[in-house]
Amino acid sequence: MSLRIDPEQREVGALVRVAEWRGRHVLEIGCGDGRLSLRLARLGAVVCGIDPDRAQIRNARRRLRRFSRRVRFRVGQAERLAHGAGSFDVVVLSWAL
Amino acid sequence: MVHALRQAHRVLKSGGLLIDLRPAPANRRVGIISGGRYRRLGTTRESLDLDRAAERAVRRAQRAGLFRLETGIRFDCRRVMDTPADFRAWILELVARRAAPPHDRLIRRVERAFGRARTGRLLIMEGPVMVRALRRLDSRLTS
Repeated sequence: MSLRIDPEQREVGALVRVAEWRGRHVLEIGCGDGRLSLRLARLGAVVCGIDPDRAQIRNARRRLRRFSRRVRFRVGQAERLAHGAGSFDVVVLSWAL
Repeated sequence: MVHALRQAHRVLKSGGLLIDLRPAPANRRVGIISGGRYRRLGTTRESLDLDRAAERAVRRAQRAGLFRLETGIRFDCRRVMDTPADFRAWILELVARRAAPPHDRLIRRVERAFGRARTGRLLIMEGPVMVRALRRLDSRLTS
């Protein structure tokens, strides 16, 4: 499927207006195929993306390439985070309902 | 959603930020660009119950003293597709994920409009998105 989400990058524009990202440790909950995680890594964040869907996490890992040092993807659920208390500067609830 | 917000509060550093990024509760506009001109073809008909429930959960977390709203921005987010088949796949996924009714008429309208258009055809879905920044508060309720 040929689908381009937010080609104008308005989402990133809005995120830059509400928070500082460079050097921040970020947890993205509901990362899907990693589209937003990679955009946050380009802004200088160190990102851990989680999603309950294994297939989506596989897709996300395929997209990593040059940001592999700054982005990690894991299968996980928002209601049972495996991370320790106080691990992140920013948590992004990404289109999570 | 309430559990997710409590978990987010737990893993955030003191004074950290929760960024809540989600579609605003509104249906999405569907249109076509052809020959440099945009034409609206219709709107999706989605259940907005999940969006509203998520917004209520965020407000409840604020009332519970977990987070304080710092700022919010609303913007339009676009999805661009090249063919009616792409649109059909997207809308079928939307129907399954958001308990929406079938969109057969809208799909047919998109297919007809795409067939009539000659040059530079692109299908556009557009809808409002909210991004909110909420500051983590140190709460005795969760310690």
